[in-house]
Amino acid sequence: MAVKRMVKRSKKATVMRKLIKSIWVFNWFNSCGFAELVPVVGSRWDMERFGMIITGTPRHADVLFIAGYQTLKSVKRAQLIYQQMAEPRVVLALGACTMTGGVYWDSYNTIKRLEDYLPVTMYIPGCPPRPEAVFEACDKIFTHVKELQ
Amino acid sequence: MIKQNNTIENLFTSTPDIDGYDFYFGPTHPGSGNFGVKLKLHGERIESAKADPGYLHRGFEKLMEYRIPIQNSMLSDRLCVLEPLGWNLVHAEAVDELMGNDVPERAKYIRVIMAELSRIQSHIIWYGVFSIATGFDTGFKIAFGYRDYVLDLFEMITGGRVYPAGYICPGGVRRDLPEGTEEKILKVLDKINEMIDFEEKGNPVLEARTKGIGILKLEDAIRLGATGPVLRASGMRSDVRIEEPYEVYDRFDFDIPVRLEGDAYARYYLGIDEMIESIKIIKQALKQLPGGDYITPSLKKIKLAKKLPEGEVYVRNEVARGEAAIYMVSNGTEKPYRTKVRGPDFLHMIPVLEFLLKGAHIADIPAIYWSLNVCPADMDR
Amino acid sequence: METIENKILEKIKSTFRVDGVVQRERRIWITIESERLVKICQWLKSEGFVHLSAISVTDWPEEDCYEITYHLWSYNEKILLTVKTKIDRDNPLIDSVVPIWSNNAQIHERELHELFGVKFHGNPDLSQLFLEDWEGPPPFRKDFDWREYLQKEVFDPKNLREQGYYDKTK
Repeated sequence: MAVKRMVKRSKKATVMRKLIKSIWVFNWFNSCGFAELVPVVGSRWDMERFGMIITGTPRHADVLFIAGYQTLKSVKRAQLIYQQMAEPRVVLALGACTMTGGVYWDSYNTIKRLEDYLPVTMYIPGCPPRPEAVFEACDKIFTHVKELQ
Repeated sequence: MIKQNNTIENLFTSTPDIDGYDFYFGPTHPGSGNFGVKLKLHGERIESAKADPGYLHRGFEKLMEYRIPIQNSMLSDRLCVLEPLGWNLVHAEAVDELMGNDVPERAKYIRVIMAELSRIQSHIIWYGVFSIATGFDTGFKIAFGYRDYVLDLFEMITGGRVYPAGYICPGGVRRDLPEGTEEKILKVLDKINEMIDFEEKGNPVLEARTKGIGILKLEDAIRLGATGPVLRASGMRSDVRIEEPYEVYDRFDFDIPVRLEGDAYARYYLGIDEMIESIKIIKQALKQLPGGDYITPSLKKIKLAKKLPEGEVYVRNEVARGEAAIYMVSNGTEKPYRTKVRGPDFLHMIPVLEFLLKGAHIADIPAIYWSLNVCPADMDR
Repeated sequence: METIENKILEKIKSTFRVDGVVQRERRIWITIESERLVKICQWLKSEGFVHLSAISVTDWPEEDCYEITYHLWSYNEKILLTVKTKIDRDNPLIDSVVPIWSNNAQIHERELHELFGVKFHGNPDLSQLFLEDWEGPPPFRKDFDWREYLQKEVFDPKNLREQGYYDKTK
């Protein structure tokens, strides 16, 4: 006898549940993010035990980490990278400088609101944010996908 | 005022010829950090290299003109993210000399201990990133595992793991060492000794990839303005801590390691020798630590902004990467009139790198690039 | 008692006519006119000041001049000598010291050309270094106020958070 599906889900929810099981990450870090994202890869807060690895090319990645302030010159490159990623794709913005401009709010060369240039899914506050905050953000992605209808 | 220029063709500025081709070792390459180099190749050999800086330019020198010195000391740890306490110290010394502050003895010893711990932490990053760029993945994991011990120590003393929020401020330090710090520092130094024992054993793959690569002779190093470990690996015994002793460095007994070959292997192992000397300095400082005030009493309550007297100063220090200097001019108001920041990486990444990459193979680029211990934030400011 | 700094200052004063002062241990500051810069720097390099630490420009709009400073370090005597000159603010033009301290000076001058607008006569390459497609005035001059520029171009007075930037201007 055939098994009937008990729960009705939309097409987007079924696809997302199958694709987002382990997240592959492309890091586009400016300097401030380097100091706190590399320990996430390192041996104390190991991110490979959750299935996340760092890819060398944006074509393999699900998530784009933008960590730190962006300047006018580097945000153009970030847009080119975002265009090369395959759906479904998520952008996480780390740090206070992506939200409001941060410490450099009166500089002529930095970006004050990142959402004008890229569609940001989630902001992670901190200057710089702790590695545990990055894991909490990824946990929220998983919960959000599970609850999609 | 800014043109929109979003096409890929504009990233190359010249047309390639028939036998050669252009190669852009760019900012998104995992082996390069936020810095690009445009290369002209002929087969596997590099004919010329042109640096492409500016991805991190914030205009620090003019940002400091809008803020008073206590706010500037919080901004000065973001000058180079890999070594914040070293730059904190340079800025605090410049303002101290302008104002004529009298820094108490205990504060000087605490400043030296924090600066040397920051130098150890920066050399551990250098070791980790250099290993993974040349294929030795275990070194990367071990280095960043041991670095966390030092970051926990910073969090206990200053409150922040990476950025100490202007801990070394004009007049002294912001708060005293908490209870039980000295024993903790000695335990952390034992752990770092374990890591140095592992590093000194060496690895045949690393030696084959770095011996004889990227040789920099002494007259070229002086002509192109190299300082710090890059100059000491070419044979010159020069260090700001013994030429111009600042704080209390003249009371310690330490050695300056020097090597003569000038290749990537010599620069890499010089970093390990320097870590051993830093551990010696910290142990001597902990034994000689006196009691007393941790900040000049006139600056203890930092609510009002004081006027800086007129004048100009030039202060030189030795950070982990080389010679760091600040030139500060004041015209009698509370904010500095002009601050010029001179970082060691501005010279290492543009003239020295373009000189060393000429005639090298493609496969040697990571070994040459990371052996110069680059920090793109320090170059762009 | 004759210190090394005083001896060196006397030697410079007797060879060229300059004003100078010894600020403290290991610091000498001299002031010269901009036409004699290259000749004096060549003599200083042959006397042992081989390391060019930095070149910097200060903007004095009330006196209508730019002040350029060259900071030189000698490895033998362990002394820092600073050379200061003044040039015109509306048409800043000076000879380059690239023939003396080659690529070290060239990269410093390229940065100052972009940020202050100073033209160095004899520098082989003065293209843009940090900025890409910037068409405004040189950013570090005193008459280009960054906070006013941002209020006009970037910040939005209808945004609730950014309204605060418009009330207090400093």
